[in-house]
Amino acid sequence: MDIRQAIFAAIAMAGLAIPASADSTQGISDTTITIGNMGPFSGPQSTFTPLNYGPEAYLRYINDQGGVNGHKFKTVFADDSCNEAKGIAAAKKLIYEDKVFMIMANPCSGVAMAIKPMLVQEGVPWIGASANPKISRPASPGIFHSTYTGIESGRAMAAFAMGKPGTTKVALAMHSDDWAHGYCDPAVDYVKSHGGEIVATTALEHGATDGTAQALQIKTSGAQAVMGCLYQPELVVLLRELQKYQVDTIVLGALGADFNQVLGAFPNRDYLKQRFFQPYQFKAKLGTGPLKKFHDIFVKYLTKDELPKAGEPTNFYYFGVPAAIVTVEAFRRAGPNPTREGWEKAMESLKDFDTGVLADNETFGPDKHVGVEKMYAVGLNTQGQETVYKAWGDALPDTE
Amino acid sequence: MLTLLPQLVVSGTSTGMLYALIALSMTVVYRATTVVNFGHGDMVAAGAYAVFVFSLGFGLPFLIAMLLAIAVLFVAGFATQHFLLQPIVAGPHLSLAMMALAVGYTLRGMLRLEWGNETMNPSRPYPQDVYMFGTVVVTTDDVVICGFVLVLLAALFVLLQVTPLGKVIQATFQSQRGAALVGINVPLFHALMWGGGAALGALGGVMLSMITPLTPDLGQWTLVQGFAAMTLGGFGSLGGAVAGGILLGITEKLLGFYVNTVFIEITGYLVPIIVLMLRPQGLFGRRMTVRV
Repeated sequence: MDIRQAIFAAIAMAGLAIPASADSTQGISDTTITIGNMGPFSGPQSTFTPLNYGPEAYLRYINDQGGVNGHKFKTVFADDSCNEAKGIAAAKKLIYEDKVFMIMANPCSGVAMAIKPMLVQEGVPWIGASANPKISRPASPGIFHSTYTGIESGRAMAAFAMGKPGTTKVALAMHSDDWAHGYCDPAVDYVKSHGGEIVATTALEHGATDGTAQALQIKTSGAQAVMGCLYQPELVVLLRELQKYQVDTIVLGALGADFNQVLGAFPNRDYLKQRFFQPYQFKAKLGTGPLKKFHDIFVKYLTKDELPKAGEPTNFYYFGVPAAIVTVEAFRRAGPNPTREGWEKAMESLKDFDTGVLADNETFGPDKHVGVEKMYAVGLNTQGQETVYKAWGDALPDTE
Repeated sequence: MLTLLPQLVVSGTSTGMLYALIALSMTVVYRATTVVNFGHGDMVAAGAYAVFVFSLGFGLPFLIAMLLAIAVLFVAGFATQHFLLQPIVAGPHLSLAMMALAVGYTLRGMLRLEWGNETMNPSRPYPQDVYMFGTVVVTTDDVVICGFVLVLLAALFVLLQVTPLGKVIQATFQSQRGAALVGINVPLFHALMWGGGAALGALGGVMLSMITPLTPDLGQWTLVQGFAAMTLGGFGSLGGAVAGGILLGITEKLLGFYVNTVFIEITGYLVPIIVLMLRPQGLFGRRMTVRV
């Protein structure tokens, strides 16, 4: 080793010996924390972008309150189009060029799974809203789910359906992709482990404009409940066909559809009363009770282009928010000089933490990186009013 | 299970009529210009959104909104041919197809830009009633779609077979050079046919928007089904496009119900493969012989 190499080695050793500080953690400066917000801002899955705008609204609100421990949040948006190759490119840009502290939102499961190895290798934290449970199970350093994965949602769908007295025969109507299996497979496990049987499995692919064959198969199978692991347009198609052929069954939709937008496709909602339900993530009806605060945050802090073209902020806006809430809380707990390790420890310290949004409180630990489990269900009661249910027949009281 | 056969045939016919309408509009363009419009599905989607904007956005009565949407798409189709395709018409056919595809993707991108993060649910201009014929269920949608396509088909048949314009269209299809020699303004004629095809596509979009939520990618599925119906019936045959569409609609219902629902998505690819293997000119197309 010559003298120059020895000096470099000494400097490197000295660098390693310095304890991590805000200055040495990527994406954190003395005054800002840079967050990468990744999602399908273009392409056919861009209906999921409210999951990106929800947390962004909350971060703007926190900034308006003065930030956290002297730090304000700065967001860098990245478009993945729900495409794995584009997602990897977007993540590389966020990590290596924009040097973000973490990646947030990221609703597309395929993209999240594709970028996970890079995140783990580079030690970049992730809190997303994608449904694939394999992202955070088993627990990987820095990878957290603050919202429900397909496992919780699928189980909730099946549990609610089988909570209706006498329900044992269940049919599946699903896309043939990983996303749909992420919901329907846990539902099937639940049904089978609780004495039920799957009497029909039907495929309804993306872009389908007709579901006659599926509806008639479900009708002839004698199914008492249908697990609709479908995106919104196809769920609407299925419900319309079931209505047309007067199929007497309840339908549980997965979280790929927005409940209110599905209702909007039915001028006459009579058929949907006590028939169409979805797992429900929140502790009250949208925009009411504790959720009113978040409604106001969305309206105040999002631009016209980020809000719905018409009507109120929908389910996905609220569903995106917990990622930002737990992130902010972890930074609050990590103190004025946050580091990656300090933030992760703070995340794992969250126990029974109430986000003010979700039906369940967040509890994380070193081996538990999915914070919530318990879900409600939402549907129309016999009077046609939107109602949140703890279980079949057990409605949550309305809040103002 | 066989008791449901009439229902599947009726529903398949209704769906097939929609495919037929898309195939018909593609056939009009192909017949006049020999170009397959690979962007046609997106023109269908644009037509559906145009009606949505005029009726809900501007509060116009549905019929007026539909006429305006047809007019807008006519202009779009005309402009596509006149400004984008005509300058490269002497180039390889592939360039024309690629240009049409690019126009389609551009339209889709524009729709996504405005309506990408939500699905739209346009309302029907008529009440949705259900009629029972024995065990067969028929809805107002089925009646409207089937009736509409049949009327349109009859009008197109009269236009092509009886009127002087129809003879011009047929003459130009058979020989563009010959048509030019007898004084037909072929570029203008092509642009008009592109406009007409896009306007027909807009009608298809209007019909589609009554039975399915609007998404910017609506055209993707319809292009495949329309193209399959066109192939099945025989390229350039108007009657074949309709027959192909209906056959496709019924086949996907039967395969989906009696075999497996996964077949529904691939019927649009599977059936043309089988038919083209057995009868390359399609079911109603004529075998072309080229003398050299």
